[in-house]
Amino acid sequence: MKFLNKIVSFYYREYKLNLSGLQDILTNIIFFFISIFIFIFSIGPDRETISLIGVGILWTLLLLSSTLSLRKFYQDDFENGNLLITHLNGFSFGFIAILKTFSHFLFVQIPFLLSIPIACILLNIVNDKLIYLFISFSIGSLILSCLGSISSSMNLMNQRNFLLGSVIVMIFSIPVIIFSVGIINMEENFNSLINILFGILLIVFAINPWASGLCLKLSLENN
Amino acid sequence: MMFLINPNKFNKAADFLIKPILVLSIILFSLGLLFSFYLSPEDYQQGSTVRIMYVHVPSAWLALLTYAIMTLYSIAALAFRIPFGFIINTAVAPIGGIFTLICIISGSFWGKPMWGTWWVWDARLTSVAILFIIYLVIIFMNLSFENRVVREKVVAIFVLVGSINLPIVKFSVDWWNTLHQPATISKLSKPNIDPSMMIPLIIMTFAFAMIGLVIAILRIKTEIISRKSNLG
Repeated sequence: MKFLNKIVSFYYREYKLNLSGLQDILTNIIFFFISIFIFIFSIGPDRETISLIGVGILWTLLLLSSTLSLRKFYQDDFENGNLLITHLNGFSFGFIAILKTFSHFLFVQIPFLLSIPIACILLNIVNDKLIYLFISFSIGSLILSCLGSISSSMNLMNQRNFLLGSVIVMIFSIPVIIFSVGIINMEENFNSLINILFGILLIVFAINPWASGLCLKLSLENN
Repeated sequence: MMFLINPNKFNKAADFLIKPILVLSIILFSLGLLFSFYLSPEDYQQGSTVRIMYVHVPSAWLALLTYAIMTLYSIAALAFRIPFGFIINTAVAPIGGIFTLICIISGSFWGKPMWGTWWVWDARLTSVAILFIIYLVIIFMNLSFENRVVREKVVAIFVLVGSINLPIVKFSVDWWNTLHQPATISKLSKPNIDPSMMIPLIIMTFAFAMIGLVIAILRIKTEIISRKSNLG
């Protein structure tokens, strides 16, 4: 019971922090929509072309705008000592990584999920595909949160070159992009592709606590 | 075999070995060039462009081998606390990157006359390009961390996570229907290549391996010295 209380208070703190920093999340979403506009200006307003490549554009932009918020993933908690206090309260580093991953999914990725229907209207994606898009997005964005946790914990002590973290996320998100865009375009083998995507999620979810926990421990020991 | 995990013993063994390996690499490389340019036949379809294979295939094998060695040493370094693995990781990564670059460039020189294009988005080509980017990220990680203890462990973790790409590179020609041909020489079956082309290929592979080994020994020795004097 005490353990559950700790988890609830952890998420309450995250909620308070994200509520006070609401403009950051909104800026992310504005970046997402502005990029859609830029894409359409550069391609041209032909409706057929846009609906053909719309899903790919949506995925690319989701990836880019979720890497934008990576800097805040562990950095603030690391610098004001909150990570250490949470660890002293009985959470292992791997468990902190899992908690932070879900918090990133809830407070950064869910707003994107909510704004997808509007983006679909802008990109001329038909309504039948919306449900597939939603399922693949919700699995894929959890994978992106796990990858973001790994890369941002790796780069905690990296003061010079922060863009490296985004590059790491992009390298490992390539299979996610391949299979999740495939879901939309090949609806007849939806089941097999969703299974592959789910498998990737399980692999990444298993690697995440190990890798992020080790990196967090290293950074705290050597700070 | 302790010289594979102990820096002092490695230094002694390297001083003993480097001159023979250097001489061997020069002999093998000149022999391999002679074989691949003059003593091997032209292909009946590809003509003289088949000679690009004698550079392309060894460098691709060695790029994969280098990453496999780095993976093994990362496991050893993280699990069994052998710090020599971190030295290997730092020293060997640029060599693997250069091998991958040679492989990509020679492949696209071959692809232009044969396939009609410098680059296609084929599974094998794409996964090798990702391997090259992973090598680049490892090199940049080695350059951008201030704290050495954090840097070497983070690089080892990244090498382990990135080793997912190795089986994808190896089996991409079997799993997907690719333009790149599947493996011609495999351990389990008789090779589908004529001995007159296989001999230069084997000689060039050993020559490339020896050249890589010479550079690796020099880089590892430099790394050991810089760690002893607390420079790196």
